[in-house]
Amino acid sequence: MLFATLLSLRKKYTRWRIGRTQTWMRGHIWLGLLSYPLILFHAGMSFGHGLTFALMLIFSLVTLTGIAGTLLQHYLPSLMTERIERETIYYQIDRILGQLVDEADSLLMPFFRKDAEYGVMVPAATRTRTKTTANVLTNENANAGKLLEEAYENNVKPYLKQRGAYRHPLHDANRARTFFTSVRQVTPQAVHPALAALESVCAEKRELDRQSLLHRILYSWLLIHVPLAYGLILLGAIHAVMSLRYA
Amino acid sequence: MAAHKNQVLLTIDGLDVVVPAGTTIFDAARMHGIDIPVLCHQQDEVPVGACRMCVVDVKERVYAAACIRKVEPNHRKANAEDPDLVVETKNDGVRAARKTLLELLMADHPAPCIRERRNGDCQLEKLAREYGATQTPYSRRQTGRELDNSSHIILVDHAACILCDRCIRACADLRHNYVIARRGKGYNAEIAFDLGKPMGSSSCVSCGECMFSCPTGALTNRVSLTSAFESGSVCTTDELLAIPIFQHVSSSFLNFNQGSIVKRRVRQGEFFYREGEGSWSAFYILEGQVNVFVSTQPAHVGTEDHTSLFSRSMRSKLVPSAEESQGTRQLGPNTLFGEISCLNSYPHSATAQAATDCVVLEMRHNVLDALRRNKTFREKFDNDYLTRTFESHLRQSPVFSELQPDFIKSLLPKVRLERYAPGEVIFKQGDLADSFYLVRRGFVKVVESHPSGDIVLAYLPMGSHFGVTSLLGEGRRLATCSALDNVDLVRIAEEDFEEMLEVSPEVGRRISEIRDERQRDNQQRFAQAGDAPLNEFLRQGIMEAKSLLVLDLEKCTRCDQCVKACADAHDGVTRLVRDGLRLEHFLVATSCRHCLDPLCMVCPVGAIQRQPSLDILIDNSCIGCGECAKNCPYGNINMHEFEVVYNEGWSTSAMASTHTKKAIVSKATNCNLCAELKEPSCVYACPHDAAHRVSGKEFNAMLVK
Repeated sequence: MLFATLLSLRKKYTRWRIGRTQTWMRGHIWLGLLSYPLILFHAGMSFGHGLTFALMLIFSLVTLTGIAGTLLQHYLPSLMTERIERETIYYQIDRILGQLVDEADSLLMPFFRKDAEYGVMVPAATRTRTKTTANVLTNENANAGKLLEEAYENNVKPYLKQRGAYRHPLHDANRARTFFTSVRQVTPQAVHPALAALESVCAEKRELDRQSLLHRILYSWLLIHVPLAYGLILLGAIHAVMSLRYA
Repeated sequence: MAAHKNQVLLTIDGLDVVVPAGTTIFDAARMHGIDIPVLCHQQDEVPVGACRMCVVDVKERVYAAACIRKVEPNHRKANAEDPDLVVETKNDGVRAARKTLLELLMADHPAPCIRERRNGDCQLEKLAREYGATQTPYSRRQTGRELDNSSHIILVDHAACILCDRCIRACADLRHNYVIARRGKGYNAEIAFDLGKPMGSSSCVSCGECMFSCPTGALTNRVSLTSAFESGSVCTTDELLAIPIFQHVSSSFLNFNQGSIVKRRVRQGEFFYREGEGSWSAFYILEGQVNVFVSTQPAHVGTEDHTSLFSRSMRSKLVPSAEESQGTRQLGPNTLFGEISCLNSYPHSATAQAATDCVVLEMRHNVLDALRRNKTFREKFDNDYLTRTFESHLRQSPVFSELQPDFIKSLLPKVRLERYAPGEVIFKQGDLADSFYLVRRGFVKVVESHPSGDIVLAYLPMGSHFGVTSLLGEGRRLATCSALDNVDLVRIAEEDFEEMLEVSPEVGRRISEIRDERQRDNQQRFAQAGDAPLNEFLRQGIMEAKSLLVLDLEKCTRCDQCVKACADAHDGVTRLVRDGLRLEHFLVATSCRHCLDPLCMVCPVGAIQRQPSLDILIDNSCIGCGECAKNCPYGNINMHEFEVVYNEGWSTSAMASTHTKKAIVSKATNCNLCAELKEPSCVYACPHDAAHRVSGKEFNAMLVK
């Protein structure tokens, strides 16, 4: 058990040349697993009472979370590799989200410049074939610019800014597709390439959120495993002292 | 003496010389050993005629500046045998004009300047002494010009500047940094960094090129780089300047690069290097004799059929050539050797052994680069290459291994040696094919243009040849070839190439085979263009990697232990980024690959070196110019900032200031594979067996599995 606990120290001091970390990891897993039946034998196949019960309970939880962690770390990397094409470094996700917001701004900003007199600066759309006066055309385009701006500011931008917006409609690929289709219907053709790029930005954001989630799952078990392991060592030490003193 | 078509007959100081039309008077004189003084021109820069010190009498209304005046055929001459131009470089009028110019320049010059005080080689003051112009009759400048000591590497004394523009051209044309320019007009004109910033605060990368170009003490070095050699004594600048080979090199360069040249005593029988070894130094013999010889018999790789009961395969084997090994060549004092390997970073093709007790100078490639800027040295260097190395170079290629020595000798006067700067186009797709090329140094990039975009067909290293397919085919170039770095080529004209094929049908047969093979490869490459992983594999140069950091993403738990271990091993600054190219379930991390064809080795001070193990390491003499990082196509060299303390004065101890100053300097860093440890820290620290260091070929095998 002590050896198993020393793995964290081994990982902290990487400069120590006291065996490859991989060897320590294997020792940690196999000795940890082996110690469970040994301690059960030591306890006479019983959980006991009081301190020993607490000790056995914590030990069982540590072993179970350890097994769960091993399984997660065995299967999740493959899943992550398969599902997330544009994976990045976990700690860089916030920075990349910032870049995505900037990219989205630069994509759409030309279409809703506040100082633009004519709204979306595009040639006359085909639907205005029968209404050829300049006023009608510019009014329609200005209206389209407003709609686009609203859609971006109210839906897309908040989604891009919030890390892990799992409940946002744009987090679902199908709903995102529907949303962008509806925006395309109210905007002129000239905006569509930018909308396609924006859709791709949202897809990248979805992948980053998925990576974020998987990464957290990959390491969430440590939140239980590590404190319990230290508790186990502490209780184990108390158990040893008590046993020697009162045996 | 009669001149042929496109040649011009000149008489310079009574000596008849024939040069190609368009040659400058300065170069014509230089080629025939006539020295014309000049301050604003150095041989690797475009002449501008700023100082007018090179004025010569061409029997016209005014004197001409020799550095920019080109000689052309004179169609008005009375007799065909008469010279096209008569030039006098040393008559009284010319000398008087130069003396006046020198007096004017000296009126503005703080004689003796820093460089003159250090090494006595300020070019202006040297000329002034020669022309008796040290005492100027003109009034000296009243308004003082500043001393800029903001850079910790270069001291700028504006008072000593003669506005020759050599530094400006060095910064822009040679290094492409574009930091230095002129500021102000007339009497107030001066050189400026980023149009007026102190040098230390400007975007200057401190490569030192301006300092090496400066003819006076306006730009001088404040520090000298420490010796990078394990043995040998460091030579003083004065000692080096007394050696003929260094007489045209700036003392600032020699001062700055003290660590790049050492003097070594070698006993009789000791080896300088052996065939196949990489010592990456060049040697210059001061005393004694050196034997250079090829130790192994020439051979090429053949194949043999290997059949057993149930299997049949082909095996490679060395087939010795019928020709005997080349004899020993003995080299005496004032000879350079080992220079080809030094410049190319390739293992030596011969063995060098001391025939007697010797004293030699050992130098790094940055010193050779500086020497090669002098055209006279370069001509000698090229001539040595043709007489000593060309034959073995040609024979290294299995295609030409059967060529008869007599034919190669007859080829020597006909071949042309050409030099290309990084990015320069050698020929374009669709151009007329008129010659065949052999790569002598550097890398050539071959690109084929298609309506859908450009496809890189190959990067050709030293020893490769190109231009065959179009010569044998339709007579038009099928791809664009350009220089990836500084490239030296041997150009063989079409008629000589055809003669080669006639003389040796075997060469023709092999060339045809290679042409067919290349065409097959190209077709295969186009077919693979849609196959992204493999295309990326080739495009990213992974096959050329000696040591890739590959992470198996199916095992990697993204714990970043590799990055942490790397940072812990290198003072807290990681040399790897766990991101990069993904091929199937592998990630090629951003970390130095120690390429077999390193494009990063363009260091102006030779700080980036290849080890005998072929690993690439950057030592402490790095000046932080960032050239290596710029040249690494994979972004695997990073610039890190460090704090240094330096003297506010200049480096000569007698003049050293007691004031010290702190500065932030950049240094290039790359993965050194934790050379001092048994195993790279990143691999050692991985808890999941996900990190591996493998070569490109091993990685390919992993992917195929």
